[in-house]
Amino acid sequence: MAGVYIYSDKTSLAAELITFVKQSGKSAAVLTFKPDDAEELASKGADKVYLCEGGSACAENYSKAVAAFLSAEEAEVLVVGSTARGRDFAARIAGYLDSSMASEVTALDFSNDGIRCERMMHGGAVIQKEILYGLSVVTMTAGKYDAGTGDCEIITIQLQADKRVNLVESHPIVKAGTDLRGATKVVCVGMGFDKEEDMKMAKDLAAILGAELGCTRGIAEERHWLPASQYIGISGANIKPQLYLSMGVSGQVQHIFGVRDAKVIVAIDRNEKAPIFRAADYGIIGDMYEIVPLLIEALK
Amino acid sequence: MSNIVVCYKWVVDEADIRINSDMTVDTKRAKGKISDYDRNAIEAAVQSAKDLGMKPIGLTFGNSQTSQSLKDALSRGLEEVYFVKAGENDHIDGRTTAKVLAAAINKIGDVSVVICADGASDTYARQTASRIGAVLDLPVVTSIIDLKIEGNTLTAVRKMDDCFETVKVEMPVVISVIPEINTPTTPGLKAVMAAGKKKVIEFNAADLNVDLTPKSQVTDIKGYVMNRKNVILRDGEAADRVKELVVALRKEGVL
Repeated sequence: MAGVYIYSDKTSLAAELITFVKQSGKSAAVLTFKPDDAEELASKGADKVYLCEGGSACAENYSKAVAAFLSAEEAEVLVVGSTARGRDFAARIAGYLDSSMASEVTALDFSNDGIRCERMMHGGAVIQKEILYGLSVVTMTAGKYDAGTGDCEIITIQLQADKRVNLVESHPIVKAGTDLRGATKVVCVGMGFDKEEDMKMAKDLAAILGAELGCTRGIAEERHWLPASQYIGISGANIKPQLYLSMGVSGQVQHIFGVRDAKVIVAIDRNEKAPIFRAADYGIIGDMYEIVPLLIEALK
Repeated sequence: MSNIVVCYKWVVDEADIRINSDMTVDTKRAKGKISDYDRNAIEAAVQSAKDLGMKPIGLTFGNSQTSQSLKDALSRGLEEVYFVKAGENDHIDGRTTAKVLAAAINKIGDVSVVICADGASDTYARQTASRIGAVLDLPVVTSIIDLKIEGNTLTAVRKMDDCFETVKVEMPVVISVIPEINTPTTPGLKAVMAAGKKKVIEFNAADLNVDLTPKSQVTDIKGYVMNRKNVILRDGEAADRVKELVVALRKEGVL
């Protein structure tokens, strides 16, 4: 059928995309490569679920076949959930289709003259708007829509899989640290800290607030003071807490990108010219080694 | 197959971008740089080539500004660099870039591995490797954190969102590497001097006979600025300012 096609290797994200597409007044056909996922997705309000079979465990190996399928079905656009697997799948299909592709769009409009979308560039400093013509591919991130309900049929189709890449083994990433994405409060440490031990005051503040501890990319990737799962930014965690409180964080665009959805942003830093103050609701300009202990006292 | 090709991009340094008060974007004072994560890709290419006795070749597509990148790229251990020059009116996006790079890779020939970074530091669209693979109908492996090449087999560990996957593939193959894969070597004086003597091959994108007719159009570019309260407490006793902050946060209902 014509209309919008959806894929995500995460069923929860696929369900969000179904809701988005249906809310936009379009038909939603979902592609999946696993029978269990098909069962689940067939109750999320889509118009059709296609269970694709071809003997490979990995969605991206079906890219060439999916491209041909979408062409034959006169699909309007392919919307893919942005995960490592999803991005690969989407871009390969775009390559086989010789079509436009917009990654991680923050807004998407199905208009008469093409797909109108917006995305961030330059680490989050710039918003770019564009129109995509013809059958196009877009990816979207999670966390914006709720799953819907509604049953539809599952149609099984045979697709040829590319067998050249062989999956040898897979094991889960043991995540040290906590998942910041669910945190309602986050205390964030930045490169303004002199010594690793000095982070204790941040941990004490987090404990009193009932907050999780996050950091900027440098703290995790360069200094290795906290695991990679704790760094907030465009290539790390994107969080949506009620309260984000930073200390010793200068506020580079790539980091701010990760907290742009926070309800209240608070910054403590000695440099009044630090970009974080332009991104903050509240800020204290001062020596964090003086301010933070006072804040801990005031909260007791 | 004796060549390893690494694709890199010359980008605007985002630290130099200015947002004007009317939200327009000013890149006039911005310096250029080789995209941050491309340095990891170049390092991976140079190391792999060294281990296998292959030739590491750089490849880049861009306008005339991109010529500033060539010495830098060569100083990082590449033996040669191919610079495909975009025409004045060429529409450069993810789609056209991948098609041009794919055509250039065919022109270079004898390529065992094409290496790209996961994404560019300006657009971070993360499409290029996958697109090139599709255009060339070659196998693709993305998001690589560890890489081993033995004989004709490439073994890679991919870092996915929740798991690590180990895959094996016969070359030729197109891959993308994430920055965690290595730490790029900072070129020393000797490497910088040697760069001046290495070969740069330039040609025009038009010579590759690739259809660059646009299928997209940028309609607006503006700065992203959050509308936050910007209540900055700078004067008075530290203890008083802290008290003021706590009162404000209680009012916001976030404590």
